[in-house]
Amino acid sequence: MSSLVKCPHCGLRPREEFTIRGEVPSPRPASDAPANAWFDHVYLRDNPRGEHREYWHHAGGCRRWLVLSRNTITHDISAVVDASTLKAGTKS
Amino acid sequence: MRDFLLHNVSPFPADETANGHGNMQIRALRDGFVFHLLGRSDTDTATVEKTIAAPIADLGGELRQLAPYQWFWVGNATLSQERVAEISAALPSMLALTDQTHGRVRLVVSGPQVRSVLAKGAMIDLADDVFAIGQSVMTQIGHIGAMITRTGDAEFEIMVLRSFAESLWHEIHQMAAEFN
Amino acid sequence: MTSFRIDGGTSINRDDVRQFSFNGEKLSGFGGDTVASALLANGKQLVGRSFKYHRPRGILTAGAAEPNALLTIGRDGRRDPNTRATMAELFDGLEARSQNCWPNVDFDIGAVNGVLGPILGAGFYYKTFMWPAAFWEKVYEPIIRKAAGLGRASYDPDPGYYEKCWAHCDLLVIGAGAAGLAAALTAGRAGARVIIADEGAQLGGGMRAERSMIDGKPADIFLGDVMGELISLPNVDIKSRTTIFANYDDGVFGGVERVQKHLPEAEINPNRAMERLWRIVAKHTILATGAEERPIVFGGNDRPGVMMAGAMRTYLNAYGVAPGKRVALFANNDQAYDTARDLEERGIEIAAIIDPRTCPDVGYHGSARHIAGAVVRDTAGRKGLKSITVRHDDGRDEVIAVDALAISGGYSPIVHLACHRGARPVWSDDHAGFMPPMDADGLTPVGAVSGVRGIVACFNAGANAACDALVGLGISARPALIGADVAGDHVNDPEAAGAQDTLPVWSVPSARGKAFVDFQNDVTASDINLAMREGYDHVELAKRYTTNGMATDQGKTSNVNAIGILAENKGVSPGDIGTTTFRPFYTPVSFGALVGASKGFEFQPVRKSPLHGWAARNGAKFVETGLWYRSSWFPKGGETFWRDSVDREVLNVRTNVGICDVSTLGKIEIFGADAAEFLNRVYCNAFLKLPVGKARYGLMLREDGFIYDDGTTSCLAENHYFMTTTTALAAGVLTHLEFCAQVLWPELDVRLASATDQWAQMAVAGPKARATLAKIIDDDLGNEAFPFLAAREVSLFGGKLRGRLFRISFSGELAYEIAVPAGYGSCVADAIMEAGKEFDIAPYGTEALGVMRIEKGHVTHAEINGTVTPADLGMGRMVSAKKDDFIGRVMNKREGLLDAARPLLVGIKPKSPSDRFATGSHILNVGADVRLENDQGYVTSTCHSPNLGHTIGLALIKGGPERYGEEVVIWNGLAGTHVTGVICNPAFVDPENEKLHA
Ligand SMILES: [Zn+2]
Repeated sequence: MSSLVKCPHCGLRPREEFTIRGEVPSPRPASDAPANAWFDHVYLRDNPRGEHREYWHHAGGCRRWLVLSRNTITHDISAVVDASTLKAGTKS
Repeated sequence: MRDFLLHNVSPFPADETANGHGNMQIRALRDGFVFHLLGRSDTDTATVEKTIAAPIADLGGELRQLAPYQWFWVGNATLSQERVAEISAALPSMLALTDQTHGRVRLVVSGPQVRSVLAKGAMIDLADDVFAIGQSVMTQIGHIGAMITRTGDAEFEIMVLRSFAESLWHEIHQMAAEFN
Repeated sequence: MTSFRIDGGTSINRDDVRQFSFNGEKLSGFGGDTVASALLANGKQLVGRSFKYHRPRGILTAGAAEPNALLTIGRDGRRDPNTRATMAELFDGLEARSQNCWPNVDFDIGAVNGVLGPILGAGFYYKTFMWPAAFWEKVYEPIIRKAAGLGRASYDPDPGYYEKCWAHCDLLVIGAGAAGLAAALTAGRAGARVIIADEGAQLGGGMRAERSMIDGKPADIFLGDVMGELISLPNVDIKSRTTIFANYDDGVFGGVERVQKHLPEAEINPNRAMERLWRIVAKHTILATGAEERPIVFGGNDRPGVMMAGAMRTYLNAYGVAPGKRVALFANNDQAYDTARDLEERGIEIAAIIDPRTCPDVGYHGSARHIAGAVVRDTAGRKGLKSITVRHDDGRDEVIAVDALAISGGYSPIVHLACHRGARPVWSDDHAGFMPPMDADGLTPVGAVSGVRGIVACFNAGANAACDALVGLGISARPALIGADVAGDHVNDPEAAGAQDTLPVWSVPSARGKAFVDFQNDVTASDINLAMREGYDHVELAKRYTTNGMATDQGKTSNVNAIGILAENKGVSPGDIGTTTFRPFYTPVSFGALVGASKGFEFQPVRKSPLHGWAARNGAKFVETGLWYRSSWFPKGGETFWRDSVDREVLNVRTNVGICDVSTLGKIEIFGADAAEFLNRVYCNAFLKLPVGKARYGLMLREDGFIYDDGTTSCLAENHYFMTTTTALAAGVLTHLEFCAQVLWPELDVRLASATDQWAQMAVAGPKARATLAKIIDDDLGNEAFPFLAAREVSLFGGKLRGRLFRISFSGELAYEIAVPAGYGSCVADAIMEAGKEFDIAPYGTEALGVMRIEKGHVTHAEINGTVTPADLGMGRMVSAKKDDFIGRVMNKREGLLDAARPLLVGIKPKSPSDRFATGSHILNVGADVRLENDQGYVTSTCHSPNLGHTIGLALIKGGPERYGEEVVIWNGLAGTHVTGVICNPAFVDPENEKLHA
């Protein structure tokens, strides 16, 4: 687990300032989407070995939701972005 | 009830003798104002500065960014609720103001070992050439969320939620005790 | 008592005599001594008993790796068990005791385990204590606990203060030997921010044991000069007595500084930490941790008097302590011969040098008898070494009388910190050791840890490594030229270097008796062989089967030998066996340091309401709710039982008027052009058309369709709303709203600010609430002007103050919540008390609040427990059928959530008013067996209702309101009670809401 996270707004911060919501799931479906799309979004998580994308909340700093891409084996963080920037995109 | 006397009660302990008496000084700021400014998500600091330029002229104070599109506007003037309402009403809709004068409390820690004191609670690197005078950060001192602002060579202002005032006061004194 | 103190000693100050006690015996040493050096100076070779066999043990090392000399130091709350005597500094009045021996270290009953040796071998725990199961708890464990075990923790609280700190630097240098000092000086002179940390009290590392002249000066003078320059550099932070114990991710290192552990009690500053836990953020790190000398595994190698050759040299040169009168050296490498040279120089008799190599160090020209191609196979002596048995290359045995034996089996680089992040060390035949992985980013191993030998070479390597590291940080530096001239640094001279490299001797084949690999856990070579024979030959399995390397020293002196033995037996290289995993901590860290200041009152911060002082003045009893202190009841006039107060407070609110601090409820200001649309999406009920000046009760669902939280939201102005949440979920709801605003719908203009602390908020409830508030509020509070669910700013005290008034009610009474800026809270509360005096106003706390909400059938998180839907609580009609989208909309319509058999909210009361029942009780049909399939639901909340005079409760029961009036059994499985209850409307009081709208 990473010790320091580079918040795109606040800079390098200790992980104690963050709370982790877990894996970034498939995007929130439209309300008329089929049931399996909703079950995927609400319940299904991959828990991969290797590259992983998670929602981290900088609760002890700017209170922004971030998407953090990290490797669960090496703990290397390859990217941290503000989660609002991902709305247009779909799951990686 | 018209003759009722209103007191603004500080959440910091009244005992001023508890303040630093040696190398470290710890001082509660009991006056002033704290406004929380919330901008639409296309607002930048320059725009905010321009927007508040008129009211700030007589208020003084400074802008401290705490998050994207969010600032604390902090000053030492004492303002009436009416004045706050006027200022708030004068702002355009892209910038909302919520008065946090009572919600956030400030204290000042100063002294030659101030960085060693704060390093006991905060991860932020406050070194002279890294953290300039006037710079602020939202971070944590121990388990208490705090905005740290450098206000002098060896002087920092700590702003926390009012409910944490007593714990912060106690913790900062404990952290500073070895230098006094 | 014989004194083994001789002259010399670069680390001690003979003018500073210090008294101490060991197992009650009064002894003395000098300032600068460790407890180990002082004990040895006093002729105390026997310091403890081993873990399993209770064998007599002496001091093996002079540093952090010590497996044997674990003592309990200090007393009462300041007692530190398992302290390595080799690391503990001697202070005046120090009290040290041996551990793991009873009745005393000289006569230990547990030593009978030595006789039972054969059955205590590897896998002993797994094989012996398998069955019968009951024996484990009743017989085996108590016996093992009594006989074995390390030191005991104190039952007294530690009076010392501990703290945790952060530090930042460009270059972190770990280890202040030759390589580390040269690196620190190089970087310091270049102006980089440097932290140099060393576990020793004084800098210098192995150089403290050096007798050579360095740059023309004795080692201690040379070190003093280097130290002086480092201190003069403001950009260099010297942390002595600081062990870097962990390499975490992202260049963060954990360290523990023993700030005052070396001071007598009278000199301890209570305001200063005893120990400091450091978290150091380093841009680059120089690892200059050196190498650990390895023991040799032969029969009786654990006898007091057997010591590592380097340690013996340290005691001799740094502390002026002779290891014995007649010493032998058993070594397989050239470096160990330094010890022989220094012993000879000090006039200590060397009985023999035994070297398994056939062609040993050609650089040695001393007078000692030299036995090449030979090994030590056994030792003798009861509590101290008397003789050794040497096996010559021709198979002949020879007994040589000695009282000390120096051993050296080669050197293991101290690679731990290079491997904490998962990288594996690499075996090197050239160095006969595991070398640090060289590709670790941001970390450069340098000096003995990377196989460099000789002081001059280490100085050079350190200085150059610092230059290279600084280039990466954009800082140019020139290597500090120190230590270029070291007299007799023969290692640096390839011509004089040994003809033969270190010859690994993993275990002596002819060993007689127990040949220890792991001294602390009493693991022998035959244990490892046994593990192999039984199939546990993987290094991780062998470790766990034999417990090798699992003691507090984590196998610093034993792991590589164990790997060597495994490799030798399998006929492979130690590199093929590999090491076990390196994890923090490098050495044990006290709980005090890990806890830091967070204990007792400082365990966690406290949040206090702006009305805390007011409540305290009114006699409140407080209860912790998360971090908050909330007033729970207000005893009055001799009330001693909490419920007397609570019953009175409830009845007073129902008849007159009461005031309650509700400041801790979460409050969120919501702004933005799309604020209404946002609220409409986060609540399951409609919010789009909430008019200005109105509050609305809202239910927030989770995306899975269950209820998340409830609260009221008021529209204070166009595009400005004010939300209240429960106290428990104040932070959670804000975080949830931020997720919705930032992640789900960043296109909406909605802005959120926590305002919980800005307002002192008071509920004023009861038939006289309006009359009371009318005396301080200037606005018209009549039903017409300010109806139920009105919410707007009002003026108080003839315009002196503005506040926010909400006509909402949790109690079910005519009630208002008035919010004023926090600083004015206690004045306003006093004013309300004064205004309500004529109506017999009384403060009420959270207990009374809880009773009244149950009486009224209002839910809290006792009911909203993560498994309930709005329909379960009778609020199904609140869920909008018109809205296109809101959180939880789709999943709330899942089949299972619409199941008619779901438990629904009801009230429940005892059939006989004298019967009571508890929250958590389950509901059964009358006559049904206590079986899961007969479960009808459960009680979520209970209280004594002073209005009804008996216990009432809320429950979730299958069939719900259809069963009003039905008798059921309320079964409490914990208490074993059955009470006949009656299902009823949850609104026990004022079901028609007449009081609410009064
Ligand atoms: Zn941030």
